[in-house]
Amino acid sequence: MPQGAAAGEAAAAGAASPAAPPAHIEIDDLCQTFRRAGMVTQALDGVDLLVAPSELVVVVGPSGCGKSTLLRIAAGLLPFTSGRVRIGGRDVTGPQTELGIVFQSPVLLDWRNVLENVLIQVELRGMDPRRYRERAERLLADVGLGDFQDRRPRELSGGMRQRVAIVRALIHDPPLLMMDEPFGALDALTREQMRIDLEKLWLAQRHTLIFVTHGIAEAVALADRVVVMTPRPGRIERIIPIDLPRPRDKAAVTSARFTEYVDEITECFMRYGVIRY
Amino acid sequence: MTAPDLPAAAPPAGGSVPAWIRKRGGAIVIAIALLLLWEVGVRLLGIKEYLLPPPSRIWLEFAKRSGTVMGGAWVTTQEILGGYVLAVLVSIPFALAVTYSRFMENAVYPVVVFLQIVPKIAIAPLFIIWFGFGYTPKLLIVFLLSFFPIVVSSIAGFKAVDPEIMDFARTTGAGGWKLFARIRLPQALPDIFTGMKVGAALSATAAIVAEFVASDRGLGYLLLQYNGNLDTPMVFAVIFLLSFIGLAVYYTVEFIERITIPWHVSQTNAGQAPL
Ligand SMILES: Nc1ncnc2c1ncn2[C@@H]1O[C@H](COP(=O)(O)OP(=O)(O)OP(=O)(O)O)[C@@H](O)[C@H]1O
Ligand SMILES: [Mg+2]
Repeated sequence: MPQGAAAGEAAAAGAASPAAPPAHIEIDDLCQTFRRAGMVTQALDGVDLLVAPSELVVVVGPSGCGKSTLLRIAAGLLPFTSGRVRIGGRDVTGPQTELGIVFQSPVLLDWRNVLENVLIQVELRGMDPRRYRERAERLLADVGLGDFQDRRPRELSGGMRQRVAIVRALIHDPPLLMMDEPFGALDALTREQMRIDLEKLWLAQRHTLIFVTHGIAEAVALADRVVVMTPRPGRIERIIPIDLPRPRDKAAVTSARFTEYVDEITECFMRYGVIRY
Repeated sequence: MTAPDLPAAAPPAGGSVPAWIRKRGGAIVIAIALLLLWEVGVRLLGIKEYLLPPPSRIWLEFAKRSGTVMGGAWVTTQEILGGYVLAVLVSIPFALAVTYSRFMENAVYPVVVFLQIVPKIAIAPLFIIWFGFGYTPKLLIVFLLSFFPIVVSSIAGFKAVDPEIMDFARTTGAGGWKLFARIRLPQALPDIFTGMKVGAALSATAAIVAEFVASDRGLGYLLLQYNGNLDTPMVFAVIFLLSFIGLAVYYTVEFIERITIPWHVSQTNAGQAPL
């Protein structure tokens, strides 16, 4: 659902227009500077972004440009230097709980098996894990972990762990999902399948989804809009609405339009010297 | 649950008895071989008994006077257990307090760390002055020696939560108690057990030293008596007995660890298996 206001070929998205439909996430002139042991790192520099409810926004950018920082700030896990961040119309001042989050690394609990690692989400929320067991089993089966529910994280491959983390973020059916390179540890084949499954899931559930990735093709294949970030200090270089039919099947991801979008983003990165041929 | 792609999976958690023999069998064989070598060597070289008695002689002497020695062993065991259990009971809540309270961390913990530098054995004579010859000073010295390793590693354990796990947990809105019970405590347990094992290993030493300083019973007392009489076989008997007590305490803790945190134990064992 591309929203009217912030988009276009013009450079960074314009300031939030007051006429825009109520956004799920509103980020306004967000700056983030890390100071540590005398070292000053400017991670984000004036980021403006509106994400509409049920929108699937993908953030791409070079390593170290502040993508994870942006997500962590939006989730209320990191205090920010200046700017304004709102979720559901409320200012983000502390950890947000109306969401499911997948971090760049799986961060599972070693002492719990796969099923228990998924159910920790509902346990910590004070909900009855028994009522979520069936759903957890189904979701695990969906991501190909049906036979691994009793295993401990150490017994899984990196990709399998990340899939557990994804299921953990989905189990309580949150209205907002944040995923920080969730497929980073997956092989190309599983990755493509996960991308397809995630789209299916999103089409069925229509949660708002912010997805961070390095993969340009992956971004185009998934997104309603692709947010292209510059190298550090991260700014939004442009926001590209992806006008491709869903579900993005084989025809869609091999179409000429698809390739044009990929080229457009690639050229952005070439201009910044992120990609050199 | 079936796992078609991992047919040769090792037995999960714990480990069976044959596996234990396979793991420790070598050590047992070596121990027996050393004892044999000792026995034969001492006899062939004609080494005097008061210098190095053969193991068989140690065993015979011990059998003859086992009543006295086992009585002493019981006394010492009580000191070890009393002091050690007290150390565990005090150090873990203390570690919690240091983890959760700024004041404890900033004001009390540095003092404790400083006190740790004090050679605790050197305090033993003081304890005799304060508490006399009985059970109390021994218990306190055992407590003192095993307290610090448990505190230090428990604090490390409580503090070492993966920040990303904490980030995840914060997005669930869970409160302090739940975070503690579901995340902080379980992930600190391996460190706590490490400290408890170090403490256990120190506790036997502590009890003996305490008895050396002043006592009229216990293995440390007997050891000095036998030593004074150049009764070397009995000196060795006491040393062996002490080692067994130390081992028993250590392995009891390890056993508890095994049933408390099988996920961690099996994981470290899995790492060793191929060697
Ligand atoms: N806690 C922190 N303290 C100091 N600097 C930080 C901290 N977190 C991030 N940074 C810095 O901020 C910049 C952005 O980091 P961030 O993790 O957001 O990048 P990223 O875009 O997610 O990169 P990647 O794609 O490699 O994951 C980096 O230069 C990093 O060094
Ligand atoms: Mg990152």
